[in-house]
Amino acid sequence: MSVWELVVLAWQGIVANRMRSSLTVLGIVIGIAAVIALLAIGYGAKLESERQIQALGLNLIFIRPGAQSAGHVSMGMGSSVGLTMSDVEAIREVCPAVAEVAPGYDSTQQVQFAGQNTSTNISGTVPEYTTIRNFHPESGRFITQQDMDHSTRVCVLGQTVVDNLFAPGENPVGKKVLIRGEFFDIVGVMERKGVTAFRDMDDQIFVPLSTAYNRIFGFNSVKGKTVQYILVQAKSEEETLPAQFQITNLLRLRHHIHSPNPDDFYLRTQKDLLQTSEAMSSVFTLLLGSTAGISLLVGGIGIMNIMLVSVTERTREIGIRKAVGASHRDILMQFVVEATVLSLTGGIVGILLGIGSSYAINYFTSWKTEVTPLSVIMSFTVSILVGLFFGIYPARQASKLDPIVALRAE
Amino acid sequence: MIELKEVSRVYDLDATPVHALRGIDLKVMSGEYIAIMGTSGSGKSTLMHILGCLDRPSSGKYSLNGEQVQNYSQDELAAIRNKTIGFVFQQFNLLPRMTALDNVMLPLIYARGSVRASKEEQLPRAQNALRLVGLGDRMNHRPNQLSGGQQQRVSIARALVNNPKILLADEPTGALDSQTSKEIMTLLEELFTQGITVILVTHDNDIASYARRVVRLKDGVIISDSLNNR
Repeated sequence: MSVWELVVLAWQGIVANRMRSSLTVLGIVIGIAAVIALLAIGYGAKLESERQIQALGLNLIFIRPGAQSAGHVSMGMGSSVGLTMSDVEAIREVCPAVAEVAPGYDSTQQVQFAGQNTSTNISGTVPEYTTIRNFHPESGRFITQQDMDHSTRVCVLGQTVVDNLFAPGENPVGKKVLIRGEFFDIVGVMERKGVTAFRDMDDQIFVPLSTAYNRIFGFNSVKGKTVQYILVQAKSEEETLPAQFQITNLLRLRHHIHSPNPDDFYLRTQKDLLQTSEAMSSVFTLLLGSTAGISLLVGGIGIMNIMLVSVTERTREIGIRKAVGASHRDILMQFVVEATVLSLTGGIVGILLGIGSSYAINYFTSWKTEVTPLSVIMSFTVSILVGLFFGIYPARQASKLDPIVALRAE
Repeated sequence: MIELKEVSRVYDLDATPVHALRGIDLKVMSGEYIAIMGTSGSGKSTLMHILGCLDRPSSGKYSLNGEQVQNYSQDELAAIRNKTIGFVFQQFNLLPRMTALDNVMLPLIYARGSVRASKEEQLPRAQNALRLVGLGDRMNHRPNQLSGGQQQRVSIARALVNNPKILLADEPTGALDSQTSKEIMTLLEELFTQGITVILVTHDNDIASYARRVVRLKDGVIISDSLNNR
């Protein structure tokens, strides 16, 4: 018998027992659908986080103050002198791989406008911030070098702050807000950036760093003007590693840190984040894979069970087929193909269901899902293999039947 | 054509051997119409299984068309059954989920090698076989939509579709009323006149009287072998 004849035969057998066949493949259907949908969610999340990270550029480096240590005793995070404006100047002047440097100092403050009141993050920053973070004003302008030089009282609002303080449709540019008891001119409104993995980028007000020192935060003359973080943009993606190396050496030298003492600052690049994100998603994929494996195992056992029942029920049929000339192999193939067609049918239904639910998740929730062709191909192959594997034992039982005994069965 | 020499069949049931056949010698020529008779337990079913290549003798020799088949493997026997022997059973043994036509197609599907009909030949051959037994208008009926006599005709069509040399009928009228039995026996008679060797297994004297030669079995040995006086 040709494979096609066997498939037709198997299909007739499956259709003849519609109810039982559907219940049998339910395990496979659910297993495969779950794999497709979960992998789509996982892959969608991975793409989204990579997109966010890459939107900032892979040449971005974050520097934060770390722990000072004396001997082998770490004084804890933030205990070091920290990073100062002179560190910033040094990085800008000394490190050849560095393109732009933007120091920043954040603080949460009360902000008022015409009786409206909100608490938000005041971010003291510099003009380079927009290029480095790829975050630009939607209307008006950002902070300029002139604002820095004259410590002017200007500010740029994030969208969330605008929503909180102003009536819908009202243009904030040109108005004044009260920050820590002082009026600031609103010169611009930032574009909507949304929530990144770490914070709401729209819930902040940008002011010139110089103004922030003079009017809002104050500064300590002993330590100089300290900054909370420094954003550095390397000249290119390839220059990120050299930049990291140059900055590390420069800061260790400036902070008088000798080997083997550890750095008193932290350096982190977007590449590190990307690697962390990739590692997380591969763990996620592995977990999903094993869940899928278990569900397919259960589904496969269901198929084997029903095939064994089927062989017992159809003993007489097997006897008749053998009497008219079916060989050992003919019977074996018939039942293996039947199990495989059964499993594959479940697999195909599961794939369709999985793709459908991925689209539904995309449509009804905020999760981005992305069905990968690989997961479809894998599910297809696995459902064939499950049928083959779990069909062989019942098929062997069938093919070993003695025709005389089988013909006598009721 | 068929030659059994000293054929015995012993079943090992619970360590007590049961001798179903004890040294059977039997020759059947091509084109004969022979009835094998005996009460239940006489060994006639066992003899039929061996003649039909469904079973192998425990000892002795079985030559079929010049082939020594007593040591053939199950698959070799299956091939012999497919091309040389047509079976007609008391209980018809049709597949209930398939149409009459699909049932008749079965031996064609399992045919191997040179006897295998091509795809285009299979369908007309099955249709011809059904017409031959007078069921040209019932090809797409399922067994449960057919009467007992019609079902037996389908099974005869299935037995004939591969043009076998031997038709082996095991109590072919056992489940039929006397009128239908007559029709079936007439059909077998026709096939005999066309040159097919017909072997009838029965305990019924009336049915056996259709055959030209009657072999009687008792306790696993042949007690008589005579020509019928018709």
